[in-house]
Amino acid sequence: MKRIGFLVNPIAGMGGAVGLKGTDGKAEEARRRGALPRAKDRARIALALLAHDENLEILTCSGGMGEDVLKEAGIQNYQVLYRFDGDSSAHDTSLAAQMFLKAEVDLILFCGGDGTARDIFDVVGRDVPVLGIPAGVKMYSAVFAIDPATAAELVMKYDTQSLRDSEVMDVDEDAYRSGELKTRLYGMARTPALPGKIQLSKHVFEEADEDRAKKEIARFMHEIMIPDVLYILGAGTTTESIARKLGVHKTLLGIDAVKNGKIVSTDLDEKTLWTLLRDGQEAKIFLSPIGAQGFILGRGNQQISPRIVKRVGIRNIIVVATPHKLRETPLLYVDSGDSVLDKDFGDSVQVISGYRMAQRRKIFQSL
Amino acid sequence: MQTKILLDEEQMPKKWYNVQADLKSPLDPPLHPKTQKPIGPEDLAAIFPMELIRQEMTTDPHIDIPEEVQDVLRLWRPSPLYRAHRLEKFLKTPARIYYKWEGVSPAGSHKPNTSIPQAYYNMKAGVERIATETGAGQWGSALAFATMLFGLQCTIYMVRSSYTQKPYRKSMMHVWGAECIPSPSTKTNAGRAMLEKDPDTPGSLGMAISEAVEDAASHSNTNYALGSVLNHVCLHQTIIGLECREQLAMVDDYPDVVIGCVGGGSNFAGISFPFAGDKLTGKHKDVDIVGAEPASCPTLTKGLYTYDLADEAGYTPLLKMFTLGHDFVPPSMHAGGLRYHGDSPIVSRLVHDGVMRAVAYHQSEVFDAAQTFARSEGIIVAPETAHAVKAAIDEALKCKKTGEEKSILFNCSGHGNFDMTAYDAYYAGSLVDYEYPDELIKEAIARIPKIS
Repeated sequence: MKRIGFLVNPIAGMGGAVGLKGTDGKAEEARRRGALPRAKDRARIALALLAHDENLEILTCSGGMGEDVLKEAGIQNYQVLYRFDGDSSAHDTSLAAQMFLKAEVDLILFCGGDGTARDIFDVVGRDVPVLGIPAGVKMYSAVFAIDPATAAELVMKYDTQSLRDSEVMDVDEDAYRSGELKTRLYGMARTPALPGKIQLSKHVFEEADEDRAKKEIARFMHEIMIPDVLYILGAGTTTESIARKLGVHKTLLGIDAVKNGKIVSTDLDEKTLWTLLRDGQEAKIFLSPIGAQGFILGRGNQQISPRIVKRVGIRNIIVVATPHKLRETPLLYVDSGDSVLDKDFGDSVQVISGYRMAQRRKIFQSL
Repeated sequence: MQTKILLDEEQMPKKWYNVQADLKSPLDPPLHPKTQKPIGPEDLAAIFPMELIRQEMTTDPHIDIPEEVQDVLRLWRPSPLYRAHRLEKFLKTPARIYYKWEGVSPAGSHKPNTSIPQAYYNMKAGVERIATETGAGQWGSALAFATMLFGLQCTIYMVRSSYTQKPYRKSMMHVWGAECIPSPSTKTNAGRAMLEKDPDTPGSLGMAISEAVEDAASHSNTNYALGSVLNHVCLHQTIIGLECREQLAMVDDYPDVVIGCVGGGSNFAGISFPFAGDKLTGKHKDVDIVGAEPASCPTLTKGLYTYDLADEAGYTPLLKMFTLGHDFVPPSMHAGGLRYHGDSPIVSRLVHDGVMRAVAYHQSEVFDAAQTFARSEGIIVAPETAHAVKAAIDEALKCKKTGEEKSILFNCSGHGNFDMTAYDAYYAGSLVDYEYPDELIKEAIARIPKIS
């Protein structure tokens, strides 16, 4: 029996249709502009697929925060753990998450946007795996499945063994409303991945656990690192494992630079990065895409600006990702802020996925 | 409009063709793994019968196929050559496409062409038992079939991941009376050492070879057999190309392009060596010979031409071949039979000399081709064979562009009836296009200190 904590942020996604680009603190305004709740519909698609899974014990919240949509999906076997009054708020999400944590759920399944993901992550961190049914205006966090049906599949196949690290993104809503996308990596949660041994074929064992895959990637990358080259390590646990292999400490969420086996600088901003590249300094950049959403550049790593990319050279950008992450990430995206430069990445990229091993992955290119 | 071009049983070749006879200079000799000196017949005598050692080293142009071996081969040989009219029509190509169908053997692939003579020569030499390895199970089942016919016992070390995931190949080995053990196992020193290093290892062909060689070397009644790579294995497979040449002559044709998929190289050698001989001796200088390999294990297109070990533990001689390094563990993919770090020394030499060339493909494009083939010609091919299909289709499409009416021949080496999960993965969109990051690996290798 899998114990699932389920919650809906009923106002998530409302802002998008009425041009608010996010609903945090704007529910009233959204309603006034005629927005209809969207999260419920998205959640129902996923739950309808889970209705016949007798292996689930669902804990949820009252009314629009969970119970309503469970009923609509034909699920009767659930328990309401958290009740709220009036309009739900971020505070309610947070309180519900605390209840789930206490009840020792195996997974929190939620329907909402990046804001909801962040509120839950603040409470449970890496203690409880989380999975998002996408419904918000912006979904840049890797905790979201690519669509509701995939979310349902991940819940059904979830075995607590197959987990991947997933980026929780923080989007500056005020800046976003004024047309500027400012994202930063907020934290690393844990999210179900499809079980590793899915290819029942001749030879196939994918790497059984993600840690091992990261170590293999790090071992390979360590082999190619040469003296006097500046290595710029993007955010995340895969690039962190490369730093660990070098014996240096890297910030999890920042962009750090390493040269000759030593940290040069951590948590770099664009200007400092530019300075480090002076005088023809040869450099390579290691980046890992955001899980599921697939962004290599432009989400949470805007420090690596177009001029930095041009200076280092696209061929010196090495994309790394575990097979687990890649399985959940159908397409990769590049959104550097310079559309001509984005095109130069071509329609596919080699992603290092193990020791002396890579996968050829498609990059989405708009026409 | 003839579709099948068939030879009578009495037209089956009576001799194998040895391309070593037509090489401009001798092959670089195999070296002893410890002394690094050329090995002699006596070094191999512990694990191979003398006749196979002779065949490994001889430069005689033709070797007689023993009567008893011919008797068994006639169970399915000569195999049919097909003119792929329907595929041609589908592709709208002016090219003529022919394929040699080796899936008609009892084991479903070209492998029994060599398992039969290998079992026979071992039986003649008084050997009671043969140990071998198998990756995907094609070779294991072919040898199980052969040893049963000649009254030998057979122990097969099967790569562990395949053992659990390919139950039907294992069942075939049992039907034919062989013992099948997942590798690495606790039966050998090599296996125990590998398990100690990594208890969860999925195994590899290199590891399984080490186990089988150790088993053979440590039991006096036991010999070893290899399903690919070695010269005598390639020799036995030449019956494929020899038949093709006869069959094409029956319709007044000769190939402009000859294609096979390449793992260890034996089925490619089988279809191509007779034509490579024609090229080397100047009879048909222009025949284009193409090996198709996976982008995830691109030995011929990205490997180094150098001496390397044929196995993981270092029991085998050093062979001069294209290699990705004996410690390279190719990624998991569906064409398990092509997951080998090295290649046949003769194929390697011919590629190195420019007599043959190689192309590499990703998994999903290979399955696109396999689907096209299944929907035009009907045969659902093995994922390995699908690489050859892909190369043939590419050549035919080139002809469509240029208007050339080339004659294209490829080896359709085996059926995919036990590979339906691979096709399922293709339709589910979950095939992974693994590739070998050769540029980064070259950077890594450049850093390894050279040993003088």
